Amino acid sequence: MVALPPVLLIALPLLFAFLAPLVGMVSRRMVKLYTLLVLILNALLSILLFINVMANGVVYEQLSGFYPPVGILLSVGYLGAILAVLINVLSPVVYLSYFGEAENSVKFSMLYMLVTASSTGIVITGDLFNMFVFFEITAVGSYGLVASLRTKEAFEGSFKYIVLGSIGSAFILMGIATIYGYLKTLNFYDIALRIDTMPETARLMSFIFLIVGIGVEAEIFPLNGWVPDAYQGASNRVASFLSVGPSKAGIYAIARLIFTLIPIMSGFELSLLLGIFTLVVGELAALRQRDVKRMLAYSSIGQMGLILIALSLHSETALVAAVFLMVGHALAKSILFIGSRDYSGGLLRNPLIAGPLFLGVLSIVGMPPFPGFWGKWYLMVDLASRGAWTIILLIVFTAIVEGVYYSRYLFRGLNGEIRTLTKSEIASIIILASILILIGLFPQYLYDPAVMAARSLLGGGP
Amino acid sequence: MIPELLQPVFVISAALLSIGLYGVMSKRNMLKIIISLGLVDTGVNVLIVAMGYLPGGTAPIENGNYALYVDPVPQALVLTAIVIGVSVMALALAVAMGYYRKTGTLELDKEGVMKW
Repeated sequence: MVALPPVLLIALPLLFAFLAPLVGMVSRRMVKLYTLLVLILNALLSILLFINVMANGVVYEQLSGFYPPVGILLSVGYLGAILAVLINVLSPVVYLSYFGEAENSVKFSMLYMLVTASSTGIVITGDLFNMFVFFEITAVGSYGLVASLRTKEAFEGSFKYIVLGSIGSAFILMGIATIYGYLKTLNFYDIALRIDTMPETARLMSFIFLIVGIGVEAEIFPLNGWVPDAYQGASNRVASFLSVGPSKAGIYAIARLIFTLIPIMSGFELSLLLGIFTLVVGELAALRQRDVKRMLAYSSIGQMGLILIALSLHSETALVAAVFLMVGHALAKSILFIGSRDYSGGLLRNPLIAGPLFLGVLSIVGMPPFPGFWGKWYLMVDLASRGAWTIILLIVFTAIVEGVYYSRYLFRGLNGEIRTLTKSEIASIIILASILILIGLFPQYLYDPAVMAARSLLGGGP
Repeated sequence: MIPELLQPVFVISAALLSIGLYGVMSKRNMLKIIISLGLVDTGVNVLIVAMGYLPGGTAPIENGNYALYVDPVPQALVLTAIVIGVSVMALALAVAMGYYRKTGTLELDKEGVMKW
């Protein structure tokens, strides 16, 4: 089989995104189909890349003819390949839900392709500054997507996102500047090799700058105040897409930061604390919400906290848990967001909608056999083996809180008059739910790549 | 590591950053927040350029006679960062305009952007 260069995953959707207005000049209705085809092409490319990485190990590609550490290096590791597939396969499925809408916005489709490309860029890059640029493209695209509804709430959510996103990018830049000031390099491997030569305080400082900055996209405390407002103001499919693409790319960047870039003990402790805080605050805030999308957004924050806890434990089992939690969260949340209305009343009396939504809720709260369950299970196994009972208690407590507000969500959904979604939205959530079921029935197909990803990360690889 | 000479630069950068962050956290007017974001950006950019500075270095343009030149990478980074900063600011202004058309005001609800 021909090994395709990974850069295609970024370059093709970028190119096609900017060709979209030309297609729009011919026929605005064509743009949706065009975008869907581009996204499906990218999904196929990402699957080929995944197969290649799983068979032959990490794939490297140097860009623009300069050798590393000067030139930009792409490096697709196991975790990167898993997330590239996750993002690129779910992105067309979520986009499918746009077909039922009367509007044909060329700009929306362009931004959608851009964010898909740049989120993929984050998970396959091997260069710190390149990662920053992709972060910015992701962020700018997401600001636009959030504002695309043009309501007061949409503008407000987008503005908050812009403000916190810019502060986050300033923090990332400061982290990069600190590292560059000492090591004069931006390549991940070069930094990892020589990170020990940096003074302890400088290392910790750059770690804090980077984790706070990246934490904006990854929805990690302290700069995640935009999440509820942006998710509430955004349209359903945008909220759904945000929980598939940008947030997963963000958490990947944090994984690279704490494992490859600056693997220091205080770093793991700090990210564990941030994770616990994010989890508890997110879940407790979700309990208080009346608005469905706000509730789901706070629940997202809680889940991202849980993933960060799993990453910070620095063990194979916990990392496998993190992979399952990421996949489970992306699938379940994208279903729930597409199927969310201002209130959920009546939606669950339509069996075609109730099925996927119910499965999504089951996976989020951690019922077997869904990925959410496997994630929590492996996490618990790891925590129990090291006797961290306080954290176990906290996770059980937040799981109960989750159970409470999700059962309230289901209960409300079963009452009221029957309402429905558009056909394409239903198709989209049914596909997502079938992927969820497939992973639940055959977890070993995710387990094996997850173990490889965990071993590679623990060994300092990508 | 870092030449003594540069200390004032770091002070300026830190000052710009803190003024910007204070503005973002305390103001509710969208335009004032956007201006504060500009200050934050500038503060960071000053810091990065300072990272690559060598006392007495010339511009990093190759002309045959290799003299002492400053590190070109931070300058390239800052150029990128400036472009990104400008586009984000343009987008922020566009969003503020949209918000104004919907509500007739530039003041954000509640306690501004830092509210959870």
